[in-house]
Amino acid sequence: MKDLKHIRFYESLLEQADNELVRQAKREGGVAVGYTCYYLPEPLLNCGTAFSVRLRAPNTGSLDISQYYMTSFICGYARALFERAFEGGFNFLDFYASSDTCQQMVRVVENIHELGLIEAPGFSYGIIDAPMKVSEHGKKLYAQQIKSHILEPLRERYGVDIGDESIREAVMEHNELCAIFEEISALRKAENPVITPREFHILCLVSYACPTALILPYLRETLEDLRQRKPDAVNPWRARIVVVGGELDDYAFSEIMENCRCYVAADRYCFGAFPGRQSIPLSADAPALEQVCSFYLETNQCPRFMSQEKIRERRAFVKRLVEEYRADGILYEQAKFCDFWGYERTLAVSVMREEYGIPTLGIDREYVVRGSGQLSTRIQAFMESLEIKKIRRGGERR
Amino acid sequence: MKQGAASNMESGTAIYRHREWRGLRDTAYDFTKWAQLWVILIRWALAHPAQNVKAVLRYRWMFSYLCVPSFFDRLCAGQRGAGLRAARLNLNHMAKDVTDTLTTIFSADGHLHPGSRKAAEKSKRIICFDELLPTLLGKGFPNCETLLFQMYPMFLPSLIQQHSAVHYISQTELYGLPADVCPLPSFEAGLAIEDDYPKIGCCMVTSNMPCDGSIMTSMLQDRRTGLPTQPLNVPLRWKREEVQDYAVAEILSAITFLEEQTGETFDWDAFKAACEVWNEQQRAKFEKWELNRTDLPPHTGASVWLYRVFEHQVACGDPGALKNDRKVNAILQKQVAARKCPKTIRHRAVIWSTPANNYPNFNNWLLDCWGIESVCEMFDIHGTGLIDTSSRESMLYGLADMIETSTMRAHTKGGYEVMLFDLWEKVKEYRADMIVMYDQISCKGVGAINGLFEEGARQRGIPMCRVRQDLLDPTSISRRDMRNDVNLFMQTVMNETPLDPSLVEFDDDESW
Repeated sequence: MKDLKHIRFYESLLEQADNELVRQAKREGGVAVGYTCYYLPEPLLNCGTAFSVRLRAPNTGSLDISQYYMTSFICGYARALFERAFEGGFNFLDFYASSDTCQQMVRVVENIHELGLIEAPGFSYGIIDAPMKVSEHGKKLYAQQIKSHILEPLRERYGVDIGDESIREAVMEHNELCAIFEEISALRKAENPVITPREFHILCLVSYACPTALILPYLRETLEDLRQRKPDAVNPWRARIVVVGGELDDYAFSEIMENCRCYVAADRYCFGAFPGRQSIPLSADAPALEQVCSFYLETNQCPRFMSQEKIRERRAFVKRLVEEYRADGILYEQAKFCDFWGYERTLAVSVMREEYGIPTLGIDREYVVRGSGQLSTRIQAFMESLEIKKIRRGGERR
Repeated sequence: MKQGAASNMESGTAIYRHREWRGLRDTAYDFTKWAQLWVILIRWALAHPAQNVKAVLRYRWMFSYLCVPSFFDRLCAGQRGAGLRAARLNLNHMAKDVTDTLTTIFSADGHLHPGSRKAAEKSKRIICFDELLPTLLGKGFPNCETLLFQMYPMFLPSLIQQHSAVHYISQTELYGLPADVCPLPSFEAGLAIEDDYPKIGCCMVTSNMPCDGSIMTSMLQDRRTGLPTQPLNVPLRWKREEVQDYAVAEILSAITFLEEQTGETFDWDAFKAACEVWNEQQRAKFEKWELNRTDLPPHTGASVWLYRVFEHQVACGDPGALKNDRKVNAILQKQVAARKCPKTIRHRAVIWSTPANNYPNFNNWLLDCWGIESVCEMFDIHGTGLIDTSSRESMLYGLADMIETSTMRAHTKGGYEVMLFDLWEKVKEYRADMIVMYDQISCKGVGAINGLFEEGARQRGIPMCRVRQDLLDPTSISRRDMRNDVNLFMQTVMNETPLDPSLVEFDDDESW
């Protein structure tokens, strides 16, 4: 297929956290809010003059400094963020919005604070205490924590408008972004889709890592481009899978999938489209803040939710993606040293295989996956097993 | 032939060749209490012999309980005077309580009594709590027994017998769980995978305590037990005033759940009475801390933190435990008043982070080998609040605080400040001249602020000895490895010679 119009530009945006669009937004007076987790509702970080940047540490090399401060048993994402902050790569941030959801991640911002690693004048941070189950009092706590520890500091320190109208405008913009993704995502349901896994991963990443208002015009054009795009005459994909897991901001992962001719039909991982790129319905009869918080708490798929109904819902959600996106199997991926996904992957692989009857593979991976031969070998083997299953079912080998 | 304490141990198993000679009075006291322990154990064994034999044959972890006399001897190793008496009193009190609870568990256990109506009826009166959730809330259901579900198959065996965790951790890893997760939840998961939890209880209250691994392991356990389960979500940033309403709402929600499951109504009077006992237990604990701040700390050693965990989690609101506290405190006060110190103390140390379950008597070794007295231990000093019993509301807020500041939780959650700054405060408060810092390799929350501890100690000029350990997995880091970390530090950094050279290097890898 012909290259997407802005794909090289998108790739360049992913070369560093402080990318061209982030710098542009800062020049225009924007307040850069870094965050790492779905527990921080993205549109709320895009109110008024604030703009969100979901933090990544592209081109991570040595992690020696973080190894001293955080030991070597901490997940690569957390260590890479710390290392990047130590090197000065996050000095563009005005505010770091964090949540005490994963202890390793919250330690990153605590270290940043204690060691004074971000030198931007007026830099501050906020940490929310987020519930692990959905309840009315949990929603109340969640909204209150976001208001007290994220929104109010943004208003007090930087004059960000956090009023109801401002939130509604941010949600509208967010919903426009989501509408684009919903349409692009639907293209993946085709037998021979016009978008590759790598391209989709890149689009998702730029949508999280760049100011929404500035990336939107490019994404609109990309959508138009995709509408016109014709697929290759021969369907190159051997099998279709749903990828499920934690933080995954290295699109080389999707490149490896592509090289194995494995089509990622749906992505349920942090930095992916599920959840995160679905429109938020707002009604006029309740404060926007409460509605957004409820939406994020209810749609959150993090394995730290420990109530039985949420655990069942997580599995049902993945099953739904498998059916809707016509996937042949599931790949559970987990960043090494991630406790949450370590347990979730282990149990889910067994449950999805044995109780749901869906071929499932579980893997763990480093933060930087580029050039991982081991990963490639495992995916190829999984592809072969899926093909064999299809042949046994009487399907054709692609 | 070696001289010193190690000369009394068999190589490998570290079994004592004969009982430790502590002087006439102390040896006689120790022997009497050891004999009392045997009475407790024999009485328990003979009360339901068939049931207990079945339990030993059904549950692999039950073998660990056969090592209790040896375990208690190790926890009292080197102890003299008031320290010895306090340790023996605390340990025997625990032995009585634990044996009683084991009887309750086994008599209701569906695994041991399949199809028994009597066992099923008893089981209906048992409420299971996550092991790090204090049972105080259960005191509001006086017609039911509240048990810490993982305490008896996991936590206690891991302390009693260092190898007890190995099989279960292996099973969890064979199931697919990464080997880097904390061995404690991994052990819990292994028990679920092996179906080695007793089949008891009418319902279960799980919790998000103390850490991420414990949250996740409840998912595996829930699948195995099949009990109606309610997670009690305890706020993480527990120092914040604004999260307390949520904590109370969660407790109320748990009460409603328990009322539905047990068919009982929450008894506020019984709960209030238990809270008042707990407050007295807390005051007794504060007295002990105060005594350890003196020049002649009387109450140190492994039994201190072990009993604290037991009292905070299991025996909170128990008048029997309070009675024991008062007896112990009287002995301790008497020794301090007499200005006696039966041991040689070279260093007053604050012991920080989580102790190793597979080496609970490490404190005793520190004192006997190097003269390092553990005047303050993180595992002992959590939970400093009292519960205001003037109204139902105030009791709920007090209970919320008590739960939030439970074992480990008080320091591992609540922000890095609570663990880091509290250490510097305790160093001052206890006039410590060194820190022994456990480096629990799989504890990510503590590991992730490793550098802050290092730099803080250096800036303050406090020697900090790091001791690697893996909580309850001796196959990753053995007891000998832990001792070696201290030996190297004391010899190369502190330039000291050991008080008892025989304890510097000895083999106890096979010890039970």
